[in-house]
Amino acid sequence: MTTYAERPTITMPGVAPASKGKNFVKWITSTDHKTIGYLYLMTSFAWFMVGGLLALVLRVELSRPGLQFVSTEQYNQVFTMHGTIMLLMFATPLFVGFANVIMPLQIGAADVAFPRLNMLSYWLYFFGSLMAVAGFLSPGGAASFGWTAYAPLANSTYSPGIGGDLWVIGLAISGLGTILGGVNFITTIFTMRAPGMTMFRMSIFSWNVLLTSILVLLAFPPLAAALLGLESDRLYGSHLFDPANGGAMLWQHLFWFFGHPEVYILALPFFGIATEILPVFSRKPIFGYKGLIAATIAISALSVAVWAHHMFVSGQVLLPFFSFMTFLIGVPTGVKFFNWIGTMWRGHVTFETPMLWVMGFLVTFLFGGLTGIILASPPLDFAVSATYFVVAHFHYVLFGTVVFAMFAGFYFWWPKFTGKMLNERLGKIHFWTLFFGFHLTFLVQHWLGIKGFPRRYADYLATDGFTYMNMVSTVGSFLLALSMIPFFVNIWITRKAPMVESDDPWGYGSSLEWATSCPPPRHNFLSMPRIRSERPAFDLHHPHIKTEGH
Amino acid sequence: MKASWQLFTGLSVFYVLMAIVYWQIDGEPVGITGMILAACLAGMVGFYVWFTQKRIGQTLPEDNTSAEIADGAGELGFYSPHSWWPLPVALSACAMGLGLVIGWWLTLIALTSLVISVIGMVTEYEKPLPVGSASNH
Repeated sequence: MTTYAERPTITMPGVAPASKGKNFVKWITSTDHKTIGYLYLMTSFAWFMVGGLLALVLRVELSRPGLQFVSTEQYNQVFTMHGTIMLLMFATPLFVGFANVIMPLQIGAADVAFPRLNMLSYWLYFFGSLMAVAGFLSPGGAASFGWTAYAPLANSTYSPGIGGDLWVIGLAISGLGTILGGVNFITTIFTMRAPGMTMFRMSIFSWNVLLTSILVLLAFPPLAAALLGLESDRLYGSHLFDPANGGAMLWQHLFWFFGHPEVYILALPFFGIATEILPVFSRKPIFGYKGLIAATIAISALSVAVWAHHMFVSGQVLLPFFSFMTFLIGVPTGVKFFNWIGTMWRGHVTFETPMLWVMGFLVTFLFGGLTGIILASPPLDFAVSATYFVVAHFHYVLFGTVVFAMFAGFYFWWPKFTGKMLNERLGKIHFWTLFFGFHLTFLVQHWLGIKGFPRRYADYLATDGFTYMNMVSTVGSFLLALSMIPFFVNIWITRKAPMVESDDPWGYGSSLEWATSCPPPRHNFLSMPRIRSERPAFDLHHPHIKTEGH
Repeated sequence: MKASWQLFTGLSVFYVLMAIVYWQIDGEPVGITGMILAACLAGMVGFYVWFTQKRIGQTLPEDNTSAEIADGAGELGFYSPHSWWPLPVALSACAMGLGLVIGWWLTLIALTSLVISVIGMVTEYEKPLPVGSASNH
């Protein structure tokens, strides 16, 4: 269905010196999946910085007893927007960004299936996010009902003001962009693979993008429905989420029917990034390729049947069912760990920066997964629900997956994005400061939670005995924030580094993106190798090593 | 395409099973509805891809394990080189949403601009090309 003959549109006739204005127009009108992907990556990283600053505000406030810095209402706004920004404006679009840049390259496509729809998704995300955060500029401040917006707290009686309305509408619009992105990725993977690139030769990252997109289609429409219902309650006085007729539970069910698959939407693509990097720095093919795909499919299937484990303490859900399903979903996750370790086992492992970040991901996410098993058990969950134990758990899961794998992906694919290698030494400094900063911040929060410090509280008493651990956590959070400096310095000093000569600067790249130039041309490939296994680029660059074909 | 429709159909069957189990053990209606709708969505995509495979009736190069890159030769399809239209479509959609919060007048204006920009985006490449400038796009 596709050809890769040289196209006349690739070469721009008479390349004029690009002015800033022309460049700007080129970016905002782009339909190139790579440019749109970079826009997604940059925008979501900018939101990561904003969300991080909000987190520092929270940590500063909590470092000592008493209210020194913000009022309780401002504290509520800050943690609400911290959660919203990190989940829906940083992590979800970050997936879209990586998928946009890398997935078409990995399946040998010239672009995504609907290039203009792709740009529309980006603009919906961009403006929707700005709208949700614009609440900070409104008279009543931003939304302050927590990112879960539980009923009846989120209705117009308890949370008046247009900050909440902007939050609801902004997220609905941004979510529409995410749904369109999911449609785009599924269509691209189903219809635009290169000849010979069968489904079971696709890289794990592309598989995970496919299954994540399916989850997006399953999860975001219920969120959109719930948000529009909430807005109708707030503006027009409807009674959808009125506790008098069971609306409080209805909201929780709808929200978590979105919310739990959302966790996997954030996890799966980043598992995919780790799975791309491990074989390259272990000099071995992936151990159990089909097992990994089966595990991902199992996670996607099970993830729509575990939502109510977020609602154990409501006392109105089927504890045995949701507890059992939640334990069950731990099995495919364990299979993945088995495969990752199997990939490294007896490999020729080297620790370049991307691999270091993957190690950080494995350690951190494993810890988060284990506390997840604890929380899946209702008797244990009752004891620590809504305490800092839960906060520590989901930061280990989400930060461990998203941020560690994001930096792994940045260091790994930076030569593919820009043609320049990032500095290894600064990368390692970046990794170790972030790693220690993160664990200093969040490890202690497990004990804080067990001692009973509730989440979302702006203050505590000196006699509570939380001061010492909160101070440790705050110090850690500043180390975590400082660890961004080596990264920016790295980008700055390597901006004029020599271009990498080879298509595959790491030397053992497997998937198809390493068979085109760094950075790739407009429609990705000038020529494509024959595809006979799930490692076409490796087969091309190391023809003397025979890979077992699938 | 076989793996594609099998994936979606399999998910659909699994969601139906989960919905039945959940219903049988007295699950609440929201979850049952959610899982049935999830099954319908996956089933719809699975059916469409299966139906398309039947209609094509031959193995596509991307499903052929011994295909050569040249097997995919032919029409590549049309790719928009760049486009202004997504920007006004998204801006109008946001203005429409903003109008719900700050006033109906904005929603009405934004609805007009949304209709215009959607028509613009959809028909961007439908216009007859002026004679002699076929490489315009």
